Amino acid sequence: MDNRRKYAVLDPATGKIDRRIFSDRAVYDDEMEKIFGRAWLMIGHESLVPRPDDFFHTYMGEDPVILTRDGGGDLHALLNMCRHRGNRVVRCDDGNANRFLCTYHGWTYRNDGALDHVPGKAEAYYDALDRDALGLVKARVETYAGIVFATWAEDAPSLEAYLGDARWYLDTVFNRRDGGMQALGPMKWLEPVNWKTMADNCSDNYHVPTSHLSSARVQSTFLGRPRLSHKDQFESPNKHAFVNGHSITFRDADDNVPRYVHGVSSETFQMFQDYHDATMPEVERRLGALRAHRVQLGNHSIFPNGILGFRLALPRGPLQTEFWHFVLVDREAPEALKRVIRIGSQANNGAAGMFEQDDVDNWRQVTSASASRLGRRYPQDLSMGLGHAGPHPDYPGLVSERYISENNQRLFYQRWEEFMNAESWADVTIEPIKARFEGTATMQG
Amino acid sequence: MKKKRARPASRKAEAPLGVTPAQALWLELMPFYIREAWLLDERRLTEWLELFTDDVLYFMPRRKNVPRRELHRELTPLGDLAILEEDKRYLAMRVARLDTGMAWAEDPPSRTRHLVGNLEVTPLEGGEVQARTAFLVYRSHLETDHQILSGYREDVLRRAEGGWKIARRTIVLDANVLLDKNLSVFL
Repeated sequence: MDNRRKYAVLDPATGKIDRRIFSDRAVYDDEMEKIFGRAWLMIGHESLVPRPDDFFHTYMGEDPVILTRDGGGDLHALLNMCRHRGNRVVRCDDGNANRFLCTYHGWTYRNDGALDHVPGKAEAYYDALDRDALGLVKARVETYAGIVFATWAEDAPSLEAYLGDARWYLDTVFNRRDGGMQALGPMKWLEPVNWKTMADNCSDNYHVPTSHLSSARVQSTFLGRPRLSHKDQFESPNKHAFVNGHSITFRDADDNVPRYVHGVSSETFQMFQDYHDATMPEVERRLGALRAHRVQLGNHSIFPNGILGFRLALPRGPLQTEFWHFVLVDREAPEALKRVIRIGSQANNGAAGMFEQDDVDNWRQVTSASASRLGRRYPQDLSMGLGHAGPHPDYPGLVSERYISENNQRLFYQRWEEFMNAESWADVTIEPIKARFEGTATMQG
Repeated sequence: MKKKRARPASRKAEAPLGVTPAQALWLELMPFYIREAWLLDERRLTEWLELFTDDVLYFMPRRKNVPRRELHRELTPLGDLAILEEDKRYLAMRVARLDTGMAWAEDPPSRTRHLVGNLEVTPLEGGEVQARTAFLVYRSHLETDHQILSGYREDVLRRAEGGWKIARRTIVLDANVLLDKNLSVFL
């Protein structure tokens, strides 16, 4: 083993992983620098700042960040830290403003980050203050189909390269319509859980028939949603692909059935089918026939902390995570459909979501176990399906042979190790883009 | 042997001498809310469900940090993502879920104490009544998890057979980021 590697926490031969990484403070501090200080992070959506001078307050890891749209329409991600002493210059969740005032000494910044006004510039500073060098710290910003990403790393590759072939799949939801998507939310709550367990659980299809059986069962009875069992999951024709640490499950079936989202019930199914059929010519034009007809995105995560569509696991110390739950809907979908998706989503996910509320104690006890000296003697076992993933003739990325496996976890923690051991972006692999992106959809929508 | 309770002089809503109709309504509704609190704390959720009309909207908006001069934006409107936006069927589904034996967030169940007060009653048109109450709910779960949920409820009540029913409930929490691990108890 390369002895420069500081982190070798996952044994690739056995799938055993050192529990320490879920609770150790020093590991966490390293993550803040090497993962959250380096990766492209989802921070918001263009629809949260639709007008000039709109802002939305968000986070990159633990760091408060203001996503702004300046008067000229350009987006900025600004560290919410006055360059003088460090006070926040925004305390609201969102709003519209072209200047941000530090409430401590009155330094005032424009919404592109420039330091605009310093009280006593001449009288107290003798005009010696270099205002140009004291703008709010800016992150690099790029967007994908309206989703805003930012990174602190000057040497990071483009967002397009970072997403790589994962975008081939993500397009089937996020880049589906000409009018793009619209973000609702976020709902915010704090869970006593290490952030990585949330991220890896997102595509853990194995837990669903146990953790969520109560909800699935009543939803079959009350809403006519299909029953859920281990057998269904094990026999599922769905697939699971991995690119650059991102995880993508997808349904692979050419049966012209709409994507099975929150809100679909026996009553609303026809509404979803009609929408699916009515928009298919547009979707085919945008994505090409193969993706329009065959590929339906399921659970997915974007490394490191973008979960299940547009949800963020924001680290708050090794033993806590703030969860942000958004719902994305097609902007041009009928209002009735948006409503059904919105209600279905809040009923299932979020702090009060029937599915999601049953996850938390499982996750937090995983976190607690990793803080125990005794517990740490016994690694987590992530061996399911070891050696059963590889390239696929039709689909980009590394594809799991089976829908249910722990390829998801192993590849997530391998990527984690890679970031944690890297000195810079030069040490992080980016898989070349190989997929054929048919249709007119681009990174810009 | 237990003493039989004295029968009130008037069982109908006729106000006793010296009590205004508004006070009489208040006196009628406060026990309604006390009873509701006991139903919730004693986990008699099927009976609790019966307190709602079939067309109820059970709504908990998000609460944002906004400047004082923009307080009209503090609560997210209906149509934005809410913490809860439920109809009777969804509420019934949540209650039924708890009986499956596999609703892990509430199995073993939370121990709760709903303290409801500050009742303010405003008659609306058509015989409906708006009732606002403040609440403090203590939740203890598993070994040492505990949480206080503070907020207010704004209900629209309708007179129905067998007493009042809640036709609309808006629950506003005094929190921006919820500090609890999940929100699995009813408010």
